[in-house]
Amino acid sequence: MSQSTNPFTQFQTDADRVTADDDRRRFLRTSLRGYQSTRTATQNRFLDYESARIAASDAKWEAIENLDIYLAQFADKLEARGATVHWCNDSEEARNAILEIIKKHDAKSVIKSKCMTTEEIHLNQLLEKEGFEVVESDLGEFIVQLRDEAPYHFVFPAMHLKKEEINTLFQEKLKSINTNDPEELTMVAREVLRQKYLSADIGISGANFGVAETGMISITENEGNARLTTALPKVHISLMGIEKIIPRLEDLALLLPILATAGTGQHLTCYNSQLGGPRQEDESDGPIEMHVVLLDNHRTRLLADPEQRDALRCIRCGACLNVCPIFKNVGGHTYGTTYQGPIGSVITPHLRGLKDWKHLSHSSSLCGACTETCPVKIDLHHHLLRNRRNAAGKGQGGIAERLLMLGFTVVMRRPWLYRLAGSLGKVGHVLTKPIHGTRIDPFYAWKKTRDLDDPAKQSFRQYWRARK
Amino acid sequence: MSRDAILGRVREALSVKTDPHVREVAEKSSHSLPVLANGPDGRTQAVKEFLPFVGDSLEDHIAAFKILSDKLQTEFIVVPTIEAARQAIEQMREQHQWERIGIHDHELVQSCVDHLKVEFTNTSSNYSTSELEKCDVGISGCDALIAQTASALVTNHSAGGRALSVLPPHHVVVAESSQMVTTMADGFAIIREKHNEKWPSFISFITGPSRTADIERILVLGAHGPKKLTIIMISA
Repeated sequence: MSQSTNPFTQFQTDADRVTADDDRRRFLRTSLRGYQSTRTATQNRFLDYESARIAASDAKWEAIENLDIYLAQFADKLEARGATVHWCNDSEEARNAILEIIKKHDAKSVIKSKCMTTEEIHLNQLLEKEGFEVVESDLGEFIVQLRDEAPYHFVFPAMHLKKEEINTLFQEKLKSINTNDPEELTMVAREVLRQKYLSADIGISGANFGVAETGMISITENEGNARLTTALPKVHISLMGIEKIIPRLEDLALLLPILATAGTGQHLTCYNSQLGGPRQEDESDGPIEMHVVLLDNHRTRLLADPEQRDALRCIRCGACLNVCPIFKNVGGHTYGTTYQGPIGSVITPHLRGLKDWKHLSHSSSLCGACTETCPVKIDLHHHLLRNRRNAAGKGQGGIAERLLMLGFTVVMRRPWLYRLAGSLGKVGHVLTKPIHGTRIDPFYAWKKTRDLDDPAKQSFRQYWRARK
Repeated sequence: MSRDAILGRVREALSVKTDPHVREVAEKSSHSLPVLANGPDGRTQAVKEFLPFVGDSLEDHIAAFKILSDKLQTEFIVVPTIEAARQAIEQMREQHQWERIGIHDHELVQSCVDHLKVEFTNTSSNYSTSELEKCDVGISGCDALIAQTASALVTNHSAGGRALSVLPPHHVVVAESSQMVTTMADGFAIIREKHNEKWPSFISFITGPSRTADIERILVLGAHGPKKLTIIMISA
């Protein structure tokens, strides 16, 4: 991933590179086809999937539209059970809150289970800079961490890598045996990480849901790494965005199967755990302290948008990425964001500024596959359009775009000028033929990926007149 | 301080009502919806009426549990009596050559293992994690079996803490057929009733042995948790 300063330039450069890599794209498509068929089979087992989807969507609506009440209830309940809740306005506050806890316990090593929010606040970089050993325990996250890369997909972090590449990586970094067998590779990681669990002082996890009624976080996983992360170390820290709240415990009975179905095509993931507080008096194990770090980081800005706040209902299943033609072609790293794909393109402008991230809403075919697949019915492709409209309305297209649109308006309103422009365009096209396809053509960038046909011999006006 | 700031911003944001058009799009459906009770009860009802059908009788539930278990590679054994469960566990001990077994204070578990000549690690009071890590198997009880998902529902009370059911390479659940329920919502209701608002700090739905498909989407069992899950159900 290139780390150029301008996200738009970085997107274009990386998109060009990735789309040219046919082999990798084929690999990605095969993998996503596998997801699609498993998911369809699981979805078909539902008595009425569409209704289940609406009920799930409804649960999240209720939470988001009453977020002030449920968020306060969630925090109060958790604290009543002995957990500490940290309210953080932005990334820096969250990082500092976590760092403080780690320092207070004089901890040396930290084990993490999968948590995209820690990616959002760049936690690992800070902790490593401060001299702590931070180990990602989810297999996919562990692999991309060894490669010093960001996750490729927020549900399948290492989906872009072939087993041969992982073999090479493990041999190099872990001095492991030479094997391309996924099972043996997994066992290598299991052995390495086992020791880390047993020695880690702090376990950091995310949260898929926060249950307001009972003051619990819910974690969804397959590997058991989150269970070990929250069972063995003496301190458990969970970082969650404020939008993860749901009203009642029973809502999970609907949302967990929906999340699994849409996310991986499983009817339910292997472990779905609800954690409310540290080890209680009558319990024999578990962490002695539990901290829940609640993060705003501009989520309230998205909430303040009455048109787009429904994007906060996202349960991060990743289904919209899996069906997106753009994602399939440009890949995950190209987005340059924590959250890739359609949902990333919708929310990143709110979280990090429309000016720098509006280009993501333009890299869309508006096919609507994302909206159709979304298990909580977020109106994704219309939000992409709304982002475009908002960017244009704020004049963020820049001087060039404004002048162009001004010129367009002038011409379109005057039939004589339109006719003149048409004829001039024809002449221009013929005259500039020698430079077509070369870099001195002013439209080189636009034409690079498009064919501009020769204009028709007869314009529509001429044709119409002749027909009469 | 930050609490007030964040909640203040949330309130301010919500003072503007959600655009009705957006709400409508999200709720639009191609077919007419069955009538649901308002609010949360409606969602409990939804789990029963929209999610996969597993029948109403115990036989139906067992059959559904069996089909999903096979798919998940959970070993699901139905035995007629406690005596038969003891024998099944004895056979497993021989087959897998268990030497150290993790258990907890649980009537059913105790009566299934008290004849075994092995070393025990009991996790019901303070225990050593490294000792549990050396166990060949963890044997625990559960609060319910969920027919719709083929899950064992556990808490730190019913399963001897947080680690017994996840640290050893093999997890054996011992349950009775009376613990079989239809949906996850029924499972929550059982815990709600049993603990009457004094919730355990750990609840988990265990659905198959630990797994990953992070390398080329190829399924591997035993990523971090148990490579093997056995559920023994004693039918009354």
